[in-house]
Amino acid sequence: MKNQNGNKWWRQAALIAAVLVVYIYAVQATQINLEEPLKPRRQENLIGLIRELAHPDLFAFENETRSTNISIRMPCPEEIKGSQVTAEGRVATLAPNCATTTQDLLQLSGEGFKPNGRIVVFWHPVGSTSVRRLTDTKADAEGKFVTQFTMPDIRETADPQRIEIVEVIDRRIIGLSDTSNEALQKIVETVLMALLASTFGTLLAIPLSFIAARNLMESIKVPLAATMLAIILTPVLAGGGWILVSRLTTPLVNTDSGVLLSIKDSFLTFGFVGNFIYVLLFFLFLLLLPLLAALVGLIVAVVLGNRYGQEAMMRMSDGTARGVTAVLTFLGSAILFLLIALFISWLNVLGVSQFLPETTTGRVQMLLLPAGVVGAVGAILSLRRDPKRPFAIGFIIYTLTRGIFNAIRSIEPIMMAFVFVVWVGLGPFAGIMALTLHSLADLGKLFSEEVENIAEGPLEAITATGANFVQQISYAVIPQIFRQYIAYIFYRWDINVRMSTIIGFVGGGGIGFVLQRNINQTLYTKASVMVIAIAIVVGVLDYLSAQIRDRII
Amino acid sequence: MLRVKNLTKVYEDGTVALDNVSFEVPDGQFVAIIGLSGSGKSTLLRCINRLIEPTSGEIWWNDVKLSHISGEELRRARRKIGMIFQHFNLVDRSSVLTNVLSGRLGYVNPIASILKRFPPEDIERAYANLERVGIRDKAHNRADELSGGQRQRVGIARALMQEPELILADEPVASLDPALAHSIMRHLQQINQEDNITVLCSLHFLDLVQQYSTRAIALNKGQLVFDGRPEEIDDERFAEIYGREAERIG
Repeated sequence: MKNQNGNKWWRQAALIAAVLVVYIYAVQATQINLEEPLKPRRQENLIGLIRELAHPDLFAFENETRSTNISIRMPCPEEIKGSQVTAEGRVATLAPNCATTTQDLLQLSGEGFKPNGRIVVFWHPVGSTSVRRLTDTKADAEGKFVTQFTMPDIRETADPQRIEIVEVIDRRIIGLSDTSNEALQKIVETVLMALLASTFGTLLAIPLSFIAARNLMESIKVPLAATMLAIILTPVLAGGGWILVSRLTTPLVNTDSGVLLSIKDSFLTFGFVGNFIYVLLFFLFLLLLPLLAALVGLIVAVVLGNRYGQEAMMRMSDGTARGVTAVLTFLGSAILFLLIALFISWLNVLGVSQFLPETTTGRVQMLLLPAGVVGAVGAILSLRRDPKRPFAIGFIIYTLTRGIFNAIRSIEPIMMAFVFVVWVGLGPFAGIMALTLHSLADLGKLFSEEVENIAEGPLEAITATGANFVQQISYAVIPQIFRQYIAYIFYRWDINVRMSTIIGFVGGGGIGFVLQRNINQTLYTKASVMVIAIAIVVGVLDYLSAQIRDRII
Repeated sequence: MLRVKNLTKVYEDGTVALDNVSFEVPDGQFVAIIGLSGSGKSTLLRCINRLIEPTSGEIWWNDVKLSHISGEELRRARRKIGMIFQHFNLVDRSSVLTNVLSGRLGYVNPIASILKRFPPEDIERAYANLERVGIRDKAHNRADELSGGQRQRVGIARALMQEPELILADEPVASLDPALAHSIMRHLQQINQEDNITVLCSLHFLDLVQQYSTRAIALNKGQLVFDGRPEEIDDERFAEIYGREAERIG
């Protein structure tokens, strides 16, 4: 007993010591430095920055001003004097009233100016239409001021030159500043970017979420031969569908001679609606139709493989079934290996393509033997199992889909945006694509977890009626998850607005792009406006999405 | 005719839910399955329509080897086997009518059904079946607005939509009060006698077994311990099925 306690004491002490060491090292590793922030230069910079940020360039002002002119000589005559002017009760004194070098200090004082008013001193150099700002100051409560300055430049003339003392008598807001207008325009762009990304992400995530839900997929089991038949048919039918349809649509969307491109201008005469239709048609022909053809090919392959493969299996004697399964497994695993290997070599993962021939045919020839070996191994493994026993293909698809979702989710959207900027150029379109991809993976995971949380009873009951997979989803699953999905879409929109501000930093468009530019150009009063705009929109969306979620669920 | 041969189910955690169970059910029987909670009644019923995968053994429905089919063939077999559940298993957020119509999913055109389109004769049949169980007026209510007894009637109507040859009822009255229990059991009896549908029904209460069933099968720890007429279950048999402990309490 005593021994045990002693043991415990040492363990705790060792644990505390270990934790302490981690913290002590962390201070060094993170370069915590208390001297630097104490330096006066740093503090001045900080105060300057914070003051600028605290002074956002929100409004456009109109100043009502009053001028008092006093003259200056350059260079100084032999006898140096001061000069004084009086105008409507205001007295301004300049001493000395001349400058020979840019080092000569001049003192300007005044009385009878607007109490507490802002005063800016300008010089009108002879022979120049522009004015030079010399200094600015503020009158005290009695309307007096004293300020000192040097001339930035010496223009020697015989006649005296004019110095203008400008008082701001009144200052009125006449509307939003250009910065605010830009912020407004860009924040709308950002919100719309997030909206499109959330919509596209949702549309893609919904069907995928069902095949990433364990409770739906686990029960999908078909004989191995049927699975392999589907794998063999997929590249032929899906690939064939893609190639066939894209051959047909290429003449329409070709960037050199595309029919659609040549009539783009007539679309654009209808303004943004015309542009929408143009983009829609382009998307339809370029991607959607070939993709649909590939999808139909995939479905046909799966249905054919599933239905006929399965029925054939059941009719065959055990020996025949085993043989057919082995042959199909040989072909199926060889084809799968070949496709994956070709993809890896095309991607040049870890630089593998330097060991492979240049052309695709060369690569296929080289990979045939390994594919044969993989196929043979697959076939031998397939012989070890009962050919009529269902094979849990559903679980494999579930695991793969979930894995892909998690992999995509773990890639920073900023990295995705960077990749898409390279592909589609700077601007919000790249941002939309990056956010769509991230939303797809994120929503796919959230949605599929929602599917996994449904009450199993209704699903069991619908399955028992003989409903197929799609019917099970539409009758037992969708009624149970519909509201949660809607809530998640709004939640994702909210997140996407926040993310799109970050994505702008790498050129993904939206307000982040402007914010980054302002920061780089040290225009902090403008940057401040962008920050305020983001804060307002994020706050409002956060509130709205919480409200909508509360109301729906 | 339902034939169960050497059926065994071992769950992944090692629990033996069914241990070499064999029996035959000629068409038209009303078979009660009795036994303690956890004796394997639900597992047996779910193995028959393959909501649970048997570990070994065979199940035949006429000349279809239910235990070994999959995919399309399994769906075609399932649509002839109606199922009724203890917790009704209705889709709460859908209407009563939709719940009943979902019994037709094994028959209708899959694409039309996804768009919630059913042939007019199916809709008529749905109303007729709701009429038969006495809740036609609830057709357009949401399923979760109904009381327990009404919900189980929806469950029966859904099973009837399948035009079943066999009905599996998994403790259909265990969540209902005694009065409702008798009304639900009478519906099942009527279906069994009028439509000549074979019924396999797991039950807890012996008086229900003796009142409604024509045959009783008892399971204890996954093994078949009794197969005979319900009235043969005397005190001695009861003790064998439920254990000595239960005898004193009951």
